[in-house]
Formats: sequence, structure tokens, C-alpha cells
Amino acid sequence: MKTVLYVEDNEFNRKIVRHLLGRTSYRLIEAVDGEAGLTTAREAVPDLIIMDIQLPKLSGLEATRQLHADPVTAPIPVIVITSFALAGDEEKAREAGAAAYLAKPYSPRELLQMIRQLAPES
Amino acid sequence: MCPNEGERPVGSTGPVPETTPGLGERIPRLLLAYWPLGPLVRWVARLRVSVHSKLLGAFLLIALLLIAMGAMSLRSIASVARQSRLLDQARERVDASRQIEHALGLQMTFTRNALLVRDDATIESIFRENNRFHDTFNRLEAAAPPDQRETIQRLRNTQDKVMATVARIAALIREDKADEAMDLHLSEGYPLYREIAMLVTRAVRNEEAGMGQLREGVEATYRRALLLTGGFAAASIVLALGLGFVISWSFILPVRQAEGFLGQVAKGDFGASIDVANRDEFGALARQMNEMSRELHELYDAQRRAAHQLRVLNTELEQASRAKSNFLASMSHELRTPMNAILGFTEMIRDGLYGEIPPEIEEPVSDIHTCGKQLLGLINNVLDLSKIEAGHMELALGEYVVEDVVNTVKLSLRALAATKGLDLVTTVSPDLPLCVGDGKRITQCLMNVVGNALKFTREGRVEIRAELEGEKVLFAVADTGIGIPAEQIDGIFEEFRQADATVSRDFGGTGLGLSITRKLVELHGGRIWVESLPGKGSTFFFSIPGRVAKEAGA
Repeated sequence: MKTVLYVEDNEFNRKIVRHLLGRTSYRLIEAVDGEAGLTTAREAVPDLIIMDIQLPKLSGLEATRQLHADPVTAPIPVIVITSFALAGDEEKAREAGAAAYLAKPYSPRELLQMIRQLAPES
Repeated sequence: MCPNEGERPVGSTGPVPETTPGLGERIPRLLLAYWPLGPLVRWVARLRVSVHSKLLGAFLLIALLLIAMGAMSLRSIASVARQSRLLDQARERVDASRQIEHALGLQMTFTRNALLVRDDATIESIFRENNRFHDTFNRLEAAAPPDQRETIQRLRNTQDKVMATVARIAALIREDKADEAMDLHLSEGYPLYREIAMLVTRAVRNEEAGMGQLREGVEATYRRALLLTGGFAAASIVLALGLGFVISWSFILPVRQAEGFLGQVAKGDFGASIDVANRDEFGALARQMNEMSRELHELYDAQRRAAHQLRVLNTELEQASRAKSNFLASMSHELRTPMNAILGFTEMIRDGLYGEIPPEIEEPVSDIHTCGKQLLGLINNVLDLSKIEAGHMELALGEYVVEDVVNTVKLSLRALAATKGLDLVTTVSPDLPLCVGDGKRITQCLMNVVGNALKFTREGRVEIRAELEGEKVLFAVADTGIGIPAEQIDGIFEEFRQADATVSRDFGGTGLGLSITRKLVELHGGRIWVESLPGKGSTFFFSIPGRVAKEAGA
């Protein structure tokens, strides 16, 4: 059973992913800010991390960068959810070490597809 | 002009830059530092007279001196000539006196001979000699100065007495009274002769004394003339040199000051001012230059103030721009986060994640989804526009195929056209090459224009054409819609503008699409325009360089 960590401060969005993965074999763990995300990732070492770009305490980009630098968490693929606010968000996400990125608002269908691609269910 | 021109040495005035002076420079400086040339140069400079008059005055002064010198010389020459003439006359008189003395001697001899030989002929020669005597006397009297006249008069009287005595002696001789004649000669004739001789000697002595005085007078006159001429010549030379120096330096000094001053101005020191003593054309020139300097200074100050204000403004604008960027970033995220939930949940409902949807709520759920998408489109437009205006919009340049762009738009909007019963026709010229630009943004542009055309057309058709025009790709979107009144065409690409307020009520939309399209087209280095006939329809054109250069997208 694969574990997916979703770091997102908005309750409704977390609920979407909770419902989306509720019908699958993925186990979902959640964190509400960048720092909590980092701690959870280091403790639980999930198979995939979905990281929102803008988070309280520590930004999604910075958290991704730190995860990428940590040998324990470095192999975990990270999907960064960007908001396409400014030019260069995608490049920044890539530079921080994201395996993929998705623009908000994303289609749950597409997200599930991406999760399955980066961390196959079985 | 300069209120405190004071007593400062002229040679070191004002802001003239000091240079290492050569000899030709040191001498005038030395001269200018001391009395009387320095003050004189200042005085001439300060005269309220034109340069022309000053020069004329100097030349006239020298000319007057030369004329005076000439007059003095002429007077001296005339004086010498007069005295020479007097000297000649005196000499003539001396000669005459000597002749008288000589004639007297002869008479004495003749008389004595006549007494000895008792000859009539000898007596005749006495009278002849007497006639010559008379002539000489006449000449002498004519030429004699008044003080000599008396002596001559006495001579003449005495001579007359002699002649009377001689006549009586001659009569006695003829009467053969030799002894009586001899007595007469000795008693009267001889003393009379002696008197004449004495008078002649006195006259000659007098004349000689006068001649000596005259000679001295001539010499003195000559010396005086020499001295005067020499003095005048020397004075003329000194005056000419002095005037030349004074006049020329009263011009050179302001010119030098002006040179130094203009040098400073040329170097950008506009605050300087020139301070010359002159009240002539040079003074006027200096005033003008000061005026110019003041104007330049003011302009410079104004320019500097403006530059400073611009810098401050620029900093403020940069701060505002940064604040705007930050606001944009968080705003974008804040708006998209709830949109994400709305669209995500509706998508999952419609995908049946929560089970079968009851048929009666299928349509409302679909409407939520459509409206959510519309709202997202609006948010994207507002953010796009803000990004473009903040200068944060960057084109992702790459290769794209024009036909793909047209087909994407056609596929996306085909359903909408079909719903409204409109024909959506596309014509893509086959000679279009592979192009370079931001394909996504160009698609967005065409999508906006075609979406607009469909929105404002109730019946008929919308045609998309793409063709090569020189180095550019020309997109044309023609519709058979309501058209745009001529007076509103200019504003059609401004933000939040639609042909009139009722349009947005009837057709919806925020009026951002065309504005964004224009900005994206311009970002590509292209341009957009429209041709329209109200009631007949509009054709929107935009042309974009086939190969967009890197800088254009920056």
C-alpha cells in the first residue's frame, strides 16, 4: 500500500484529495503547513508528496527544496501545485526538485492520473 | 554691472584660470599691477564709451600730439630764419659802416692831396666820393634799427658839415689861398673827420654787439627747437605706446575673462559669473554672458530637480510594482484555491465519485461547472492583464504551426457556434511556414477574437483566415454580427470597453478579452486592428512576425 502526503492549508482542497483517494488503495496523510509537511515527510517517508506552492510558515517551494536536499526524503517524487501567478513558477518548481507540477485549479481526474504514474498503486 | 569692482589689481581679476605665463605675458602683468597703467586700464575700461570711440579717441590724441609737434617745429624754423635775416642785415650795416670809414679815409687823402697839389681834379674826386657816401648812408639808414638812426643822423649831419668845409677849402684853393685852406682843413675839416671816424667806429661796435646777441639767439632757438622736437617725438612715442597698451589691455582683459568663463561653462559649471570692469561693448557682452549663465544654471537646476523627482518617483513606482507583484501572486493563489475546490468537487460529482447523480440535479451540477469555468476564465483574464501591466508577462517562445492554432480554436468553439446556429469557417493558407512565437498565447488571442465574434453574431457566419503577409502571419476573423459604430472603434481595445453599456447586458463579458489580446499581440511585436460596418459585421485583424525575436517576448 502506497502512502501519499498532501501538504495543503485549505481544508476543502484536502477533502477533495481525501475523497479522490478514498476509493483507491492509496493511504493519505495530510499536513497543513510547510513545516508540518517537512516533519511528516521525514517521519512517515511517504511514496509521493503533493505540495501546494503557497503555504503558511514555510513555502511549498522551500519545503520541496529541503526535501530534495535531505537524503532520506530526496527519492520521494513531489508534485508541486502551482497557481500560475507569475512567470517562472514552473521553472522554480522544477529547480526546487519537483518531479511534476500541476496548475491550480487542477482536475482531480488529472491529479489521480499523475499520482498513479509517479507511484503505481500495486 | 559689478557693484564692488573696488581696487583689486586688474591683472588678477575674477575667475580667469591661471596659466604659466611666458615673458610676453609676465611684462604686461607686471605693468598692470602698478601705477599708472593698472588704474588707467581700469579707468578706460570703465568709460561709458563704445570701443569704436575709445580707439578713435586714442588715435586722435596721438594725431594731435604729432600736429602740435609739427607746429612747434615750424615755429622754431621760422624763428631761426627771422634771426638769420636780422643777422644778415646787421652784417650789411657793418659793411656799410666800414665803407663809410673807407670813403672817409679816401676823402681825407683826397683833401690832403688837393691841399698839396692844389689841383681842381682832385677836388672833384672828393665830391664824387661824397656822392658814394650818400648812397651808403641811404642804405644804412634804411636798414638800421631805430637806436642806430640817431648815430647815422649825426654822421650825415657831420658829413654835410665836412662837405661844406671841403667846399670852402676847394674855393680857397681855387682862389689860391692855400694857407687859409690848410688852416680851415686843420681847424674844421680834420676834427670833423675825426668825429665821423669816431661815430662810425661806435656804430660798428654797436652792430657787432647786436650781431653777437643775434647769433646767441639763433643758437638758443635752434637748441630749443631741437629739444622741443625731441621731447615731442619722445612724448608721442610714449603716449602712443601707453595708449596702445591701455586700450588694448582694456579689451584683452575682458576677452580673457570671457574665455575663462566660457571654458568653465563649457565644462558644465553653470553657476559661474563673469565680472569685468568694462562699460563698453565688452561690458554688454559680459552682462549677456552672465544672463546666459544664470539661465543655464536655472535650467540645470530645474533639470536636476526634475531628475531627482523622477528618481524618487521611479523608486516609488518600483516599490509599487513590487507590491503589486506580491499582491498578484497571493491574489492569484487565494482566488484559485476555492475555485479548485468548486471545480474539483463538481468534477468528482459528475465523474460519479459520489455515486449515480439523480437526473434532476444533473443539469444544475453541469451549470455550476460551466459557471465555475467562466469565473475561472475571468480570474485568468484579470490576472493576465495585471501581469502584462506589471511587466511580468513573459512569452514562452517556441515553434508552432499556424494551422494547429486555428484548429485548436475551431475545435474549442465549434460547439458554441453550433449552439448559436452559426457557421464557423476556417481558411489557412498552405504557404505558411513553421513559425516561432508563444503558440499558447497566440491561440489565446485567436480564441478571444473568435469567441468575441461568435458572441456578437446572432446569425450568419464567422470566418477565420490565416495567411502569410511578407514576414508576418495575418489572422483575420470576419463576422456578420452587430458591428461597431465608427466613433467607438478607437476604444475597442481598451480595458473594460464594449461598444456600449447595453452590450455587456445583452452579450455579457467584461470587455477584457480584446485588451489582453492587443497586449499579447504587441508583446509579440505585432499589431491588431478592426474594420467594421454597424449592422453588417466586423473583421478583426492581427498580424504577428513569423519569427518573434527573443527581446520581443522579454
